[in-house]
Order: sequence, then structure tokens, then C-alpha cells
Amino acid sequence: MTTRFCLICTFLCVACSTNGQLLPVNQLYLADSLAGAGRFFEAGIAYERVLFNQPDSAAQLVAVAGKIGCLKQQSRFAAAVQYINSEVTNSYSDSTLLALSHDQITCAYLAGQFENSLSLLERLPYLHPDRPTETPVMSVVRILSLNELQRWPEAAEAYRKLLAHNQIDTLSTPYRQLPRLKSEQKAIALSTFIPGGGQFYAGKPGEAILSILVESAGLYFGITNFLAGYYLSAWGVGAATFGSFHSGGIRRAEVLVKQYNARQAQQFNAKVKSELLKQVGQ
Amino acid sequence: MVKKLLVLVGQAIPFWFLVFQSPIIRAQTPADFGKEWRFAQYLSDKDAFPEAVYVLEQLEPLIQTAAQKDSLLYLRGWLAYTTKELTVAHQKLLLVSVTSPFYARSRYFGAYCLAFAGNRDSARVVMETLPIPNSTFRELRALQLAGVALLQRRYEDFDQQRNAFSYTSYALVNEQKRFNKYDSTLRAEKHRSPFVAGLYSAILPGLGKVYAGKPKQGIAAFLPILSLGLLTYEGLRKDGPRSARFIGFGSLFTLFYVGNIWGSILSVKAKRNEFKREYDNKILFDMHIPVRSLLN
Repeated sequence: MTTRFCLICTFLCVACSTNGQLLPVNQLYLADSLAGAGRFFEAGIAYERVLFNQPDSAAQLVAVAGKIGCLKQQSRFAAAVQYINSEVTNSYSDSTLLALSHDQITCAYLAGQFENSLSLLERLPYLHPDRPTETPVMSVVRILSLNELQRWPEAAEAYRKLLAHNQIDTLSTPYRQLPRLKSEQKAIALSTFIPGGGQFYAGKPGEAILSILVESAGLYFGITNFLAGYYLSAWGVGAATFGSFHSGGIRRAEVLVKQYNARQAQQFNAKVKSELLKQVGQ
Repeated sequence: MVKKLLVLVGQAIPFWFLVFQSPIIRAQTPADFGKEWRFAQYLSDKDAFPEAVYVLEQLEPLIQTAAQKDSLLYLRGWLAYTTKELTVAHQKLLLVSVTSPFYARSRYFGAYCLAFAGNRDSARVVMETLPIPNSTFRELRALQLAGVALLQRRYEDFDQQRNAFSYTSYALVNEQKRFNKYDSTLRAEKHRSPFVAGLYSAILPGLGKVYAGKPKQGIAAFLPILSLGLLTYEGLRKDGPRSARFIGFGSLFTLFYVGNIWGSILSVKAKRNEFKREYDNKILFDMHIPVRSLLN
């Protein structure tokens, strides 16, 4: 009992001798506790406090990792990319730098910075020539980023490599059937020469019929008025109605094709994503 | 007895240790104001602005001296300025007292934020008392006052402030020259009358918009009114004044004709506001650059 009492007193003396300041290990403990309690904003500040006190490199690394984790938990992925950029210094070992880069690439993808995630991926072999840089997770990020940028042939190649690496049957690739995107130019040309043609092509028959009806009404009004001798009405109402709805129809057909293509790409990317996660998860 | 006492003390100590020495509790009552303030500044330097604001808010109950209060006001104001919360920025920065080492910086940036937020009279009052430690700052103050004079279109005040320009300081010379150009342009601005614009549009549809300085809108207004006028004329000539064609097109023509007159009146005001906004932005930009260069 006496030993226990002395130990406690010694511990208290050490705690008091820090003059109210937390030791780095305690600060890390606090930050971890806050993160564990789901208070990620406050935990991020606590990790920054550890870094502010310039701890040893081990504690520094734990704090940096903790801060990145907090930013990710708050879905502040763009901030995490920027943070990792500012924290990556040569004081870390090569393996740590590689791990941080992997984190940064994942955050860049999650922040919707697809070009950035690909460019960061391309940099890795040059920055870490002695290490294998393309982990399965990084391959997944590469494929998903390429998909989002609609660079499907490159994505298919990366997908094939990933499956080969994981020794999975490469014949069941979703890239065997790429989405069939429609041509905006074709839609414009169709609507120019056949009223409503572009809308039909874009898969919107209702809009196509409406366009045909309105343009026909304008044309009919123009012709009948012209034949009745109302030349100004034929021109000012009939031709104007036909002309404005015709040019509007052309623009609308272009927009509809863009929307159709975006939908197709989104559906295909979602399908690849679920397939990919299934394959990697096996 | 002694053993029992030791047991009791031994059991109680961990409890009190947990209460007073728990890292979480200790961290919520940081003892060192200076260190916490530097920590907030460190966060601000790392662009972690919401985090820095949070740390400063936690620091408020710890203020013990006027200097600490000034430091806190300055940094909070600076963070608000950085995140473009200009109202908070000038409210905090202008409360920094004259004894603070941040006083000059706070006054200049606070006054600028006031001017930017549209409180031009208050900005002028603050700028008149800006600290001037040397001749460059004398010119900087004159430039700020000249800027506010231009923003308020007080050309006599501008002439008075312009006398202090020496056109020799590298940080100010370009802005001083540009202010002179803005002064000439603003003085030469034609004050178009909404009434005249309306009258012109009544005589010839669209002409009022051309007069207001919007020629493309004028043409765009003229063509449909001309078409409707011609259609009305055709209805009158062919079917007579009681025909549905004449009444329909005539009503549309009247609606567009009157609407165009009203639009021309409004377009004078719109053009005037566009011009004012454009030059106000230029003036504010040129007021800002030297403050950043000399006080950053």
C-alpha cells in the first residue's frame, strides 16, 4: 500500500511539474479520445496542437495521420489533399511518404479531383522508384478516376491488369460492352433538317412530337396567311414562330443528347464500380 | 488506524487525479494565453481558419489584460478579413487599442473593410485618424481618403487629398496615377436623364436604350415592336378596326410599346449602376493593394 501511495505521489508531481501544459503523449491521447468520441473537428485541432508543439517524428506522424483521418471523417477531402501537400516533407521515411501519397490520391478522388488523382498516381513511380507503388486500392482509384473522365479504353486496360494481378477471370469484364453514347452533331443535323428528329434520336419522342406540332402550326399559319394575302402576318407570326421553335428545337436536341450521354456514363460507371468492389473484395 | 488512513488516501488519490489531471479536462482550460494565441496564428498560417476561430473563441474567457484583449481582437478580425467576413472584420479590428503593436495594421485594414462594406462615412472618419509613422504612411492615408472621396464622388475632397501625392513611392505611385484617371472619368460621366430616355423611346422604340448606352438592347427592342406595328397595320388595312386581328396585334403592340418606354427609363438607372459598380470596384481594388503591400 505504501508503495502504491508513493507511486501515485510521484506521478502527480510529474504531472504538476509540467506547469499545466500537456505532454505530447497526453495531447495525442486527448486527440484520440476526441476522435473516438466522434468530435472530429475538435480532434483535428488537438492533433494540430501536437504538431504545433513540435514533437518527435513518431508523434508527429501519428498527429498528421490523425488530422488526415479527422478531415476525411468530416468529408473535407479537398482540405485533406491540401493538408497532405503541406505536410509532406523529406523528414519522413520513403514508406511513410508513399502511404501519405496513397491517402492523398484517395482523398483527391473522393473530392472529385479526378485529373489530380491521376496525375498524383503518375508521379508515384518517379518519387518512389524502389517500391511497388500501385497497390490494389490505387488501381481501383485509377480505374474509377478514368471512368469518371470517360477514358474507358485506358480504364479497361487498368481493370484487366488489376484482375490479372488478383488472378481473377478477366473474361467477365464490364468493359466488353461500353456505353453507346450518342453524337451531339448528329442530333443537331437531324433537328436542322427534320423537325423533332434530334429529340427522337435523343430518346425523347414526347418532346419530338411537341416540337413537330408547334413548328407545323407556325408553318401552317404562315402558308395560309400568305395565300390569303396577309404577307406581314405570314412573315411576322408564321415564319417567326416556325423559325424560333426550329432553332430552339436544335439547341434542345443537343442538350437532350448531352443529358442522355451523362446518364449512360453514370450508369456504366456505377456498374463498373460495384463490379470492381465485388472483384477486389473477393 | 494509520494503515486504514493510508488505504483511504490511496483510494481517494486516483479519483482526484482523474478529476483534476485528466488530459481532456486539462486541455479545456489552457493556462497560457500567449501560447494559445500563437497556436491560433499557427492554424491561421496553415489556412485552417475555422479551427483558428474556434481556438480564439475558447480563449476569450482567459483574457486578463488589455494587451491580451487587443491581441485577440486583432487576430479574430484578421481571420474574418481573410475569410471575407468584412462586417466582423471591421468590428473587431477597429476595437484594437492604440497601445497595441497591432494598432496601425488593425486601423488600416479595419478602415478598408468599412469602406468595402459600404460604410463610407464611417470609413472616412476612421481614416482621418489613421496612424502615420512616416511620410509613406502619410501618403497611404491620403490615398485611402482620396479613395473614399472618389467612392462618395466628393471631388473637392479628392483634390484636397491629391495634394499629398508625391508620385515617388513604389508602393503607391501606380494607384495614385490610376486614381487621377478615375477622377477624370467620373467627372466626365454623362448624367443621362430617365425622362429623356423615355421620350426618345416614345418617338422611336429602342432609341431610349441607345441613349442610355445599351445600343444592342435598343435594336433588340426595336425589331419586335416594328413587327407588331406592321402586323397591326396589316390587320387595320385588310380587316378594319373592329377585326380580331387588328385588336389582338394592336393590344400586343401597345403592350410592347409602353413596356419599352418603361424599360428605357429603367435602363438609364441600370447603366448608371453598372458604371458606378465598375468604378467602385476599381477604386476599392486600388485602395487595397497598397495597404497589403505596406502592412503585410
